Amino acid sequence: MTQLIAQRPEPGTPRPYRFPAVVRRSVAGGSVVAADLPGHNLAVASLLLDAGGGRETIGVEGVAEVLAKALEEGTASRSAADYAVALESLGTDLSLSIDWDSFAATVQVPVAALPAAVELLAEAVRRPKLDPADIERVRDDEAESLRLYWANPGPRADAVLRSDLFGAEVRHGRPLSGDPRTVGALSVDDVVGFHRSWFMAPGTLLVAGDLSRIDLDALGRAAFAGADESSPVVGEPFPAGGRTTRRIVLVDRPGSVQSTLRLGHTAPHRSHPDYVPMTLGAIVLGGAFTSRLNHLLREVRGYTYGIRSEYGLSRRFGRFVTSAGVQTAVTAPALVDAVGEIARTQSEGVTEPELAVARDWRAGQLSVGLQTPRAYASALSTLVVHDLPDDYHARLRESLLHATVDEVSAATAAHLNAEGITLVVEGDAAAIRSELEATGLGEVVTAAI
Amino acid sequence: MSETGYPWPIETTRLANGMRVVVSEDRSAPVVAVNLWYDVGSRHEPDGQTGFAHLFEHLMFEGSVNVPKTEHMRLVQGNGGSLNATTNPDRTNYFETLPAEHLELALWLEADRMGGLVPALVQETLDNQRDVVKNERRQRYENVPYGDAWLRLLPLLYPEGHPYHHPTIGSMEDLNAAELATFQAFHRSYYVPDNAVLTVAGDAAPAEVFALAAKYFGGLTAGGQRPPAPTGSLAGWAGPVSSVVAAEVPAPRVYLAHRTYPYGSTEHDAVTVLATVLGQGRGSRLYRLLADGARLAQPDTVGAYGVDLAYAPAPLIASATARPGVTAARLGAALAEVVDELVTGEVTEQELARAQALLETEWWTAVATVDGRADLLSRYTTLFGDPARVGSRLPGWRAVTTSALAEVAREVLRPEDRVTLVYEPMEAVA
Repeated sequence: MTQLIAQRPEPGTPRPYRFPAVVRRSVAGGSVVAADLPGHNLAVASLLLDAGGGRETIGVEGVAEVLAKALEEGTASRSAADYAVALESLGTDLSLSIDWDSFAATVQVPVAALPAAVELLAEAVRRPKLDPADIERVRDDEAESLRLYWANPGPRADAVLRSDLFGAEVRHGRPLSGDPRTVGALSVDDVVGFHRSWFMAPGTLLVAGDLSRIDLDALGRAAFAGADESSPVVGEPFPAGGRTTRRIVLVDRPGSVQSTLRLGHTAPHRSHPDYVPMTLGAIVLGGAFTSRLNHLLREVRGYTYGIRSEYGLSRRFGRFVTSAGVQTAVTAPALVDAVGEIARTQSEGVTEPELAVARDWRAGQLSVGLQTPRAYASALSTLVVHDLPDDYHARLRESLLHATVDEVSAATAAHLNAEGITLVVEGDAAAIRSELEATGLGEVVTAAI
Repeated sequence: MSETGYPWPIETTRLANGMRVVVSEDRSAPVVAVNLWYDVGSRHEPDGQTGFAHLFEHLMFEGSVNVPKTEHMRLVQGNGGSLNATTNPDRTNYFETLPAEHLELALWLEADRMGGLVPALVQETLDNQRDVVKNERRQRYENVPYGDAWLRLLPLLYPEGHPYHHPTIGSMEDLNAAELATFQAFHRSYYVPDNAVLTVAGDAAPAEVFALAAKYFGGLTAGGQRPPAPTGSLAGWAGPVSSVVAAEVPAPRVYLAHRTYPYGSTEHDAVTVLATVLGQGRGSRLYRLLADGARLAQPDTVGAYGVDLAYAPAPLIASATARPGVTAARLGAALAEVVDELVTGEVTEQELARAQALLETEWWTAVATVDGRADLLSRYTTLFGDPARVGSRLPGWRAVTTSALAEVAREVLRPEDRVTLVYEPMEAVA
């Protein structure tokens, strides 16, 4: 006969939280920021430049992405094929990532191969060949790649939401990687010019690994060789703004078996003092599995495989977004439920049991999520991009654990905007349009995209 | 350089009810991973019950005798943890990683749903999770271009009646017909201690884990006879086979697939290296010949990989999407030519070294986390009865030679054994 233990166990003794000591060096005009991870076989190095999508001007959206791809098309001393084989034979690719605030080129290798991998990284980033014919080919490939990507549900809805929130006349009102048309129209000069403008500053080299086996100064010298000494100035945050009336924007996807929802509004930038209570509020609303949105739309109604809400915050602007795919036939009631939960959270705030989950989850994830060199490199990147102190993660943990119901409820009241939220619905317009109109949630307009 | 791919201690025990327990201590981070493999997957599903193992996995999160509905997720996340579960043809796994002081909570939760799910399982829960799974199917497979490729490849690769013939997500018809009693019986058959492996990796001592495992799982009763998975046979499979699909896709795409060897064999190690030579990275054959050289394929769409299935020859799949103006036929012929060259030509030492270096990093990445380690230990215990064999995977890749690659390529990449799946954009066909 099976015997179960009915009593839920109490937790054991908590282990102390410790973020590794952050080591900072000034080398050859640039900065090295490192975390010591004794015993790890792998090490990560990432060259971080202030050259993200936010540095692009209107009309050349996606140029950073095309440049990133062009970096691997050969260097001053190596063909593209030779470069690929040299780097991959060390055990790594050149991982290139671009967000609104930064460009990062990252290698991950067994520790002994790190010096050679950083040399190759620097060769591509600082001394790429950038042959015009290669750039044109890469640009065409990237435009086609975006066309393929935009055939998925989501990218069009994201673009429509972004444009509605910020306006297409500012850079961040347009897609981070541009769209198939804008990328196809980029010139060789656009790409070479972006490199000249933003890739010659030294930037920061992030290193995570067993520092007893790594010469940080040598890595820094390799990464910063040939860079000039000026660092770009970060602009002030844009005014947040926000709509006062709700609207539904329909993006047609004929025959779609699901409707892709992107519900959003503007939000403060990343370094806003409400960062902690605001993001905890988003976890209660739609971050945790047992969050209000996921509980109602998935676990009670069965409308979706999952729904989540989060703040996307960068240095100069932010937005709040709720995302889900819902079965076509239940699009309208799903939208009503989602808006209802967002409005309730804004007006009534959070409860202690819900906040307890959010708090402990995020605090615990600082340990659970930080195990690999790559995860530590990413944590270092947060320090550098947002100019945070070395003890930031330890302090963040404390502020998460001490956030109160009143503080978080005040933040949800101040930063959620249920009345002015834009409800982008990418789905089968013929099947759902009249039902969306009947919800009374707001005017229904169709996006031409 | 480490000789073994697993330089951490491994200790094991077996409870009186047959449950195997594996512990791998590592005090470097204050976290602990708990991982269970149940030896049941979609390969066990009889006709008319496709998708049941996976739907059942969902039910495991919906409450048990001492854990009310939604509490499982709330308790794990609310104590700082991450959690999930996955189902594939071979097995079902459940896992959570928590701050180490919550180890006992995780074991309590896992034991309660292993020993006490059935009394808590109600029709309303089944109906709700059936809808969730149907939406998972829509979201992952039906609403995205090429999303159903895996669903289409399996029946081409494995004949009717073979355990890998049908996909794990199942069919909408079978999901609609799923009855509560079937799931109750499913749990009684397969969710028993002697059909499970529990692994704990991270900030916990073996003696402590063994004692807690005995405390929480020791009172569970061993299962009875379980229906064996159908063995299936490939005899009579006649190839080559090809299938052309007209679909809402933005460009032609071609998949080539071959059945190779089961996961865990020396030959499977060689196939993993071969797939890396063929289709991983910018230095791979597919990238150099199809994307860069002939410019037939979109650069970011070419790739090849071996699938980690253990109970029949696992597939190696290569795929590429056409550049504008390139037909599926032209791309398909070129893709086949690249694969054929692996049979007729030779892989160079440089190509082999590149692939092995990439796999070396991939391996150390997989074992860099306690959750990655716990899953591998559960895998090797379930599949081979020996968690320590996990250390042999990386040396296995290192030991592959160019002649071993030539040998497996000749054996499994024959054109007559090939499965080809082609997607054509709807308008190109009309």
